[in-house]
Amino acid sequence: MPPMKFFSSFLILFAAMALFIGSCGENEKARSYLTKNEYEGAVAAWKLPEDWGENPSALGIMAGSFHVKTAEGPMGRIGVMPFRESVDISTIINMFAAELGHPDYNQTSILSLIQEIRLENRSFELVRLEDKKANTEPRSALLALYRAEGQTWLFPFVASRKLIDEQLENFHAFLSSTILRSGSTPLRAINPSPVPPSTLGHQPTWEAPDHWQRKPTTSIRMGNYVVSGESGESLDFSITSFPGDVGGILANVNRWLGQVGMDATDESGLSRYMSDRMIDEKPAKLVIAESNDQALYAAILFHEGRSWFLKLMGDRNLARSEKKNFIGLLDSFCLGDH
Amino acid sequence: MAEPKYFSSSLIQRRKNFAWLIPLADLRLTLTLLSLSMVLIFVATLEQVRVGIRGAQSEFFESFYGIWHYPEQFWWGEFLHPLPIPIPGGYLLGGSLIINLLAAFLTRFQWTGKKMGIQLIHFGIILLLVGQLATQALQEESRMLINKGGTVNYLERFHGVELAFIEVTNPNSSRVVAFPQKLLQQDGLHYFPDLPFKVRVLQFGPNCDFKALPPAIRATGPSESVNRGVAQSANLQIIPKPEDFSSEGMNFAYVVFELLDGAHSMGVWAAISHPAGNHFWAQIDPSIADLAFQPIRKNGELWGVSLRAEREYLPYSIELLGISNEFYQGTDIPYNFESEVLLRTDDNQSRRALVYMNTPLRHEGKTFYQYQMNKAADYTVFQVVRNPSWLIPYLACILVSIGLLWQFSFHLARFLSRNASSNHRTA
Repeated sequence: MPPMKFFSSFLILFAAMALFIGSCGENEKARSYLTKNEYEGAVAAWKLPEDWGENPSALGIMAGSFHVKTAEGPMGRIGVMPFRESVDISTIINMFAAELGHPDYNQTSILSLIQEIRLENRSFELVRLEDKKANTEPRSALLALYRAEGQTWLFPFVASRKLIDEQLENFHAFLSSTILRSGSTPLRAINPSPVPPSTLGHQPTWEAPDHWQRKPTTSIRMGNYVVSGESGESLDFSITSFPGDVGGILANVNRWLGQVGMDATDESGLSRYMSDRMIDEKPAKLVIAESNDQALYAAILFHEGRSWFLKLMGDRNLARSEKKNFIGLLDSFCLGDH
Repeated sequence: MAEPKYFSSSLIQRRKNFAWLIPLADLRLTLTLLSLSMVLIFVATLEQVRVGIRGAQSEFFESFYGIWHYPEQFWWGEFLHPLPIPIPGGYLLGGSLIINLLAAFLTRFQWTGKKMGIQLIHFGIILLLVGQLATQALQEESRMLINKGGTVNYLERFHGVELAFIEVTNPNSSRVVAFPQKLLQQDGLHYFPDLPFKVRVLQFGPNCDFKALPPAIRATGPSESVNRGVAQSANLQIIPKPEDFSSEGMNFAYVVFELLDGAHSMGVWAAISHPAGNHFWAQIDPSIADLAFQPIRKNGELWGVSLRAEREYLPYSIELLGISNEFYQGTDIPYNFESEVLLRTDDNQSRRALVYMNTPLRHEGKTFYQYQMNKAADYTVFQVVRNPSWLIPYLACILVSIGLLWQFSFHLARFLSRNASSNHRTA
């Protein structure tokens, strides 16, 4: 037999073998099936109104963050914040009250602000805070709270007064669409609570100027001060700490820029507001941003898996005059771990 | 009835009909293939030291050829080691042997009762080779880990991962859409009707190193484009690594993928699979615990995505009632691992069983062997084997035995008959 014929017959037989081996493998396709739900975490799902968009970089304490799509671009901030336990409503409202120039509320004084609405057989507590500080483009905060199964869900909507009025119907539709179920493990977003001393093992220290008026600390703020000017203007200073990086630098800076009425920026624009600084011998970031009437001075420190924020915010002129004191406080800040 | 022309019982006629097969039936080819098989076994045994059992099996037995480098520590190793030496693989040798035997069957063997033993022996060997090939292609090995008091209704493959999207909005049932590893390895865009988005696989790797970078440092490599999920929030740097085939190897498979709502990008995620189970992520670092379930919300539904060991759900479940392990007195050498289980089928039938060494539980084509146990942590692990061709080696051995018996009996009978006639003549 000629060698060519030998090889061709061998090849044919071998190809048949190879095909057999190849065809014996599993048919690789995506599979879909139903199974028992074994997910133990909290469930938060929603449907966004058509003219709302998602803020992809919003992480950390937010389970979700959205904006309203307008002809001028994304406006306003809407969020979903889970709290792993039933927290006092005044604690939550005071998180926003200070930034809008409101006094601290207690459990009694907050009652007059609460409006209860029922949506899809669920009861939500609504509180609307108007901006008492800004002269132009006054902002509002519309806060909705839902409590179930020992968990509290906060839906803050912070935007211009006009936009909130326009979007009220969408906001209610959004609240109606939410599916909220607490789980045995916490939601991805972490309860913004101060560091418990038992896990921290040490407490941070700092030196504040004498004329900065100390206010009671809250479940969020481990340092809480108000700085008053001669003409009634004021500054709010807070020290907060959270596990993780709570969304990272960009997300936090953009949130703050929104609070002082400035446009959000991107990674490349961060350098306009941010510079490096050492705090407690650790590398940190200093953020300086000023709008026409408001200013934000803040320091961000990431250390051992936690984020530390030292933030001074309020009247621009007063902030400028207090800048030296703010820097002095940063220099005195010590985490107490050495 | 007329005999088929092609498969005539006459050897001469068959040699004419299958003349082209005659060279393939050459005994020298058989001997060459058997010799090469011995070389293959020798080389693969040496290579086990370098790549482990699974690596050697994959590289040399489950392939048509393998590349071997002469060991450096052998004679002239410093000169010969750099040379890549091709070694015929298991598929090539096994396949060639089957062809060789079939050709011999058709063109060399006489199909007579006198030679039937030889035919049965060779047919048994062919069956043995085919059986091994079928086992290679069809056998599935998985594990089932059950905590004491817990009930499990799925298996996890020892090797291979899947990208699973799990919808958990309904408290009673979960919808799961899983993309197997082979699909992830192809990259490209994948669409599935049950998913409210499309999945574009950007990069997949069987193993990686990873570390969380400080927030100020931007990740490079596979996770550079990631802008959503845990890899983004924890600023994870993924460093691809080759797959570790050794028996102790821990492979952290990873995938970087983009989700698309129509043509609109929803973002780029990364997922990493923990070889011991994704629940271990929380123990490594709480900031990456969500690698076990990265939330994605769409159309009022909460989906979670994770890269996990490929799963197979069963139409029955197994509850672990109790475990016991006993050791030889004064030693750490176990002499008995035992799991008491309750098997429940979907139609509410149930049965208790004890699974221990050499006494597996068999159900619906699957065999559950006692594999690992942790008394302190109160869990047991079964190795679960499904092999549809398990019967073939037994049939092959029976055929070979019958063939040998037939052949020897035939010779014995002939010898006795000759002996008897010779004695008769002498008398």
